[in-house]
Amino acid sequence: MAQYRTQVKIIADVLSTARDMNVEGTGVGVTALLRRGNISYTRMSKLLSELVGSGLLLELTGEKISKYMISDKGIQFLAAYYSFEDFAQTFGLRL
Amino acid sequence: MPTAPDMALIDAMLQFIGVFVSFSVAYVALKGVRQTESMSLMRLGLAFAFLGFGFLVESLVGLGQLFPRLSITATDVVVGGLLLETTGYFFLAFSHAVDVVLSKRMGAALLILPVMSLSGPDLANILSILSFYFVMYGVVETIYSYSRTRKPDTLFIAMGLSLLGVGTFFQWLSLLYQYVAVLSLLQIILQVMGLTILFTPVLRFAVGGVKVNGPV
Repeated sequence: MAQYRTQVKIIADVLSTARDMNVEGTGVGVTALLRRGNISYTRMSKLLSELVGSGLLLELTGEKISKYMISDKGIQFLAAYYSFEDFAQTFGLRL
Repeated sequence: MPTAPDMALIDAMLQFIGVFVSFSVAYVALKGVRQTESMSLMRLGLAFAFLGFGFLVESLVGLGQLFPRLSITATDVVVGGLLLETTGYFFLAFSHAVDVVLSKRMGAALLILPVMSLSGPDLANILSILSFYFVMYGVVETIYSYSRTRKPDTLFIAMGLSLLGVGTFFQWLSLLYQYVAVLSLLQIILQVMGLTILFTPVLRFAVGGVKVNGPV
């Protein structure tokens, strides 16, 4: 049975994708984020500008396309998110 | 054999441990709400906040027995404390019940509620047995959750909840047989043991030292 993701869960998914797929250190494109984030392009665009605005993602503007990289604040947020997820799961709950 | 004032003091001290553990779990859960806006953590936090206030009222009642001048041993206050505790246990069970409803699976344990709640003649009895029901429901759901995640910590928490549940059962017995003083002591020892187990995720959380400046 499919489970609905909360907004925070979607943010965590996008941030973890930006962290895990940034192997070369040149950032991750929107297509890769869309594939792993599993949300529409319109929603992703809005979310990305919000995440860049709040300092969780860094936008690397190229000649044609923008790429995204997780910031230190984003890494800190992910660590906190996983800690609280673990805390909730210990009590048998989903975050 | 400990005297009545000794028992009251031990009881009050153990209740204060309950206050500390409950408020600690509530603090971490509500901090999590601020970070993640999770409704599950909100219900968990509320559950332990109510439990903490319930234990606080009961510990004050215990102290009232030591200092009769304080005269806070009134039945209404005892019932008030029990009501707070039962509300806490309700939120604890409710956290799981919402998960159950969300996954479109209804626990058969819910059907036991009407039968169990009618077994006590007065409000304190009913509240105690309701607490027992809510905690045991939480135990069943936590074990079910363990079957999904296979996280040993979840099983450990289920054990803590079980001790808490058996404690509430003894609480009910101690209300029925008030002349058996050991029942009350047994109740609070079991509850504190259960709460101490529930405190372990808080400890791990504190050791992990999660830091994020403000909500997203």
